[in-house]
Amino acid sequence: MSNHHQPHGQDQDGAGHHHILSTSLALKIWGCLVVLTIATVAVAQVDLGFWNFTVAMLIASMKATLVCVFFMGLKWDHKENAIIFSTSFIFMAIFMILTFGDLLTRGNVYVHGSIVPEGMVHAKSKFKKPWVSSPELIARGNELFHTQCVMCHGPQGHGDGPAAAGLNPHPRNFTAPESQWKNGRKPSQMFETVTKGLGGMPSFASTPAEDRWALVHYVHSLGSPDPKDTPEDLKKIGIDPTKDDGGGAGEKVIPIGLAIDELAH
Amino acid sequence: MAHVPAAERHHAHHFSSGVEEFDACKQGVWIFLVTEVLFFSGLFLAYAVLRVFHPEMMHKAHKLLDWRLGGLNTLILIFSSLTMALSVSAAQRGDNKKVIRYLWITFVCAFGFLIVKFFEYRHKFIEGMLPGSHYTYPHLTEKTAGLFFSCYFVMTGIHGIHVIVGMGLIYWLIRRAKHGEFGPNYFTPVEATGLYWHFVDLIWIYLFPLLYLVS
Amino acid sequence: MSHANAEVVHGDNYINHSKGIKSWLFTLDHKRIGIMYLFTVLTMFLIGGIFALGIRLELFSPGMQFLKPDQYNRFFTYHGAIMVFMVVIPLIPAALGNFVLPMMLGAKDVAFPRWNLFSYYIYITGIIVAVSTLFLKGVDTGWTFYTPYSIRSSSSATLVLLGAFIMGFSSILTGLNFIVTIHKLRAPGLTWDRLPLFLWGIYATSVIQILATPVLAITLLLALLERVLGIGIFDPKLGGDPVLFQHFFWFYSHPAVYIMILPAMGVISEVLPVFSRKPIFGYKMIAAATFGIALVSFLVWGHHLFVSGQSAFANFVFSLLTMFVAIPTGVKVFGWMGTLYKGSLRFNTPLLYALGFIFVFTIGGLTGVMLATVSIDVHLTDTYFVIAHFHYVMVGGSILAFLAGLHYWFPKFSGKMYPETAAKVGAWFVIIGFNVTFFPQFILGVLGMPRRYADYLPQFTTLNRVSTFGSWLLAIGFVTTAINLIYALKKGAKAGDNPWGALTLEWQTASPPPMENFNYDPVVTEGPYDYRGAKALMGSNA
Repeated sequence: MSNHHQPHGQDQDGAGHHHILSTSLALKIWGCLVVLTIATVAVAQVDLGFWNFTVAMLIASMKATLVCVFFMGLKWDHKENAIIFSTSFIFMAIFMILTFGDLLTRGNVYVHGSIVPEGMVHAKSKFKKPWVSSPELIARGNELFHTQCVMCHGPQGHGDGPAAAGLNPHPRNFTAPESQWKNGRKPSQMFETVTKGLGGMPSFASTPAEDRWALVHYVHSLGSPDPKDTPEDLKKIGIDPTKDDGGGAGEKVIPIGLAIDELAH
Repeated sequence: MAHVPAAERHHAHHFSSGVEEFDACKQGVWIFLVTEVLFFSGLFLAYAVLRVFHPEMMHKAHKLLDWRLGGLNTLILIFSSLTMALSVSAAQRGDNKKVIRYLWITFVCAFGFLIVKFFEYRHKFIEGMLPGSHYTYPHLTEKTAGLFFSCYFVMTGIHGIHVIVGMGLIYWLIRRAKHGEFGPNYFTPVEATGLYWHFVDLIWIYLFPLLYLVS
Repeated sequence: MSHANAEVVHGDNYINHSKGIKSWLFTLDHKRIGIMYLFTVLTMFLIGGIFALGIRLELFSPGMQFLKPDQYNRFFTYHGAIMVFMVVIPLIPAALGNFVLPMMLGAKDVAFPRWNLFSYYIYITGIIVAVSTLFLKGVDTGWTFYTPYSIRSSSSATLVLLGAFIMGFSSILTGLNFIVTIHKLRAPGLTWDRLPLFLWGIYATSVIQILATPVLAITLLLALLERVLGIGIFDPKLGGDPVLFQHFFWFYSHPAVYIMILPAMGVISEVLPVFSRKPIFGYKMIAAATFGIALVSFLVWGHHLFVSGQSAFANFVFSLLTMFVAIPTGVKVFGWMGTLYKGSLRFNTPLLYALGFIFVFTIGGLTGVMLATVSIDVHLTDTYFVIAHFHYVMVGGSILAFLAGLHYWFPKFSGKMYPETAAKVGAWFVIIGFNVTFFPQFILGVLGMPRRYADYLPQFTTLNRVSTFGSWLLAIGFVTTAINLIYALKKGAKAGDNPWGALTLEWQTASPPPMENFNYDPVVTEGPYDYRGAKALMGSNA
């Protein structure tokens, strides 16, 4: 990288300093590029599944390398320029990799496992037997629905909320027939869905159980009143219908309600 | 700017030699190309995000593009890269007639590329295959199909703007060459424009398979 | 660095070489372009500062004093956008670097003088486009333009996005110019291990500008197309992802803050050896750390998205990577302390600002490590803690270093010496005023006061009033400094060619320099901080 100190006026060293790309080499490279183009089009007609993309990118990169090295003259240029140009791809890779590092791991935000309490259905409730629907529960569910659920499920529960457009699969249309509900439309099944989450639907396990039941009853009221829960259905999710609080060992959820109570006083 | 014949050209005063000036200009263009790579990287990332999160939509929508027109454009651009490279070599040898001829061919190829694109775009407009909220094509009703066309139009559109700029640069070179400004001791603008033009080709080399071929 | 003072010729300099406004507006001389940048940047600093004073005035008491909430939102948006894009990003590289860099290299100009002038006019165009919106509907999205609000908000957002897009090219061209100049136009003998640390700083900054600014360009362009064409990539209504916008935006905007601080650190690395009359401690480490910081700066942008819906995994990765930047930063602070230790200190204004920088920047940097910790950030994000953190590094860092550099190079730019006492008074008002303004904001943040709110709970009143009072001290400091320097331009004592006795090349020629920078061909024979053999170069105004 030293500087040349030439007396002014002598620019004739230009010719000796530069490599001239010969016509024959240029034509050969062009030929390779045409062949590779035909190859990539040909391969695209065959279904190789996942490999289509990889092969296409490989061929494109071969073409790109030929253009950079020969047409753009990196082969005969100062190494600096090649290093400078390659750096751009490193940072492009960083941009893409770290962004996908976020986008592809979004599902992990709602952790399944020990944080989701097993005793979820045994959580204490101010309502007696909250798995049985009542106007108070439905009213409470209505309130909760309109704060927590409308963004995705829409104001009438048709699965057409503003955030729904970007979701795949689509949020459930609560007026749809039972066959379209993945976990089924019984209240106990809905309770399971809202507790554990399903696909793009996050888990609401940290919401107090009575609130979850309220939501279930409200959502159920948006469609047909059937199917209802039988005692077997309730037993399946661990509720003893003869007890007011469903039986079980008591509160095992994250005691958010308790914490809020404590903080507010 | 006055037209200085190649033989009389003197390097700028703050450089110590013509070689230094040429090297500096070349490096400047390479650094500019780095910025172009990063500029397009945002578009490639947006495309990748759409592919990963809306695979069926992207698959169905990409079939609406005509890969033969895309392939034709690829061949046109590759050929224009050849003629551009040949015009640089001609300038290095001092063969001014060839310089101008190859530059004209490159210019015509670029124009041809834009003509093909014009027909492609026209077809899309007529069919309602438009970006985002303007999408109205009735035969593909995937909800987010407009996003594919947003990608398509923005990526090929920005690439197309680069082609138009390239045409402007090539035309400027032709005018200067006609005044005998280029020769073995001074061909920097031809070299610089060549690098830019090859880069435009490079971007298309990736755009073509990503948009037209891969599902 | 070279001992060719005997060849310095006085009389004709870059100021009096040619007269008339056209000779300035159409100049190709990097020194004149630098001076034009300096005046423009300082004008924008004044405008951005007025918005800041307005914000602090409004926040003097709870309730609304003289602004409606909508207007308040516009105040902090314009304050942020002007300060980030029009002041701090171009500040040291364009306003100081343009002048100093070629001279420090022993060159006659930058590699591409016409692109240099063009970059100045791009900057002006961007400013006009963006600032014109002050007379239209105005923008209230915050300087970060988060979607989807920025897609739907007032019509002026299009123009501000466009203005910022245009300004980005100025930044790119400046960076490109500087890199090629440093690569190709170094004087004979100026090897990489003799490159002044200010130039290492500018070099790393320029690399960041080249790599990051284009991503801002595509981000702003896509946001513009969202507004104008509804393309849908960032709009959830059309199936897009607003958090993707944040990824795009912060991929630039995080390295951008290192564009702001690396040149500042470079100035400090120049000033400390001169005013300690000692070689810099750990030259190679500081140069390496400069590039270390630049590299790490590209890996950490997700820490701005901790509570935006980014995945827990990504939060963990970005938090870890962010902590790493503290290592090269610490290396630099250590090097600076080592330079001062057992130095022969002259407490001129540049050193005063440099010392203020080290103290204030360290606080800012450490609070950054706090914010990098996800569990803490969840509570402190979008509170005044964050505001205090970034003002500590951006104002306490970049602005203090800029003022150090401005006073340091003032004699070189103008040939005059500024009155030292008045300058020190200004400096103390700035440093103390700055701390009084922003330290209470750390506390306010921890207490829970949110940012970007036009009003606050009554229990935050006292601290807000202290902060507002501090802003007045800060303003007095800036005004005093400005008046002092303007006075010095007109009536200052004649400065010698090298009043500080520094060793870098720009001091080995007349003050103000001739148009061609040097009347001889500089040759470098020793390092830029080699004070052991240089007692003879001690200037008369030391």
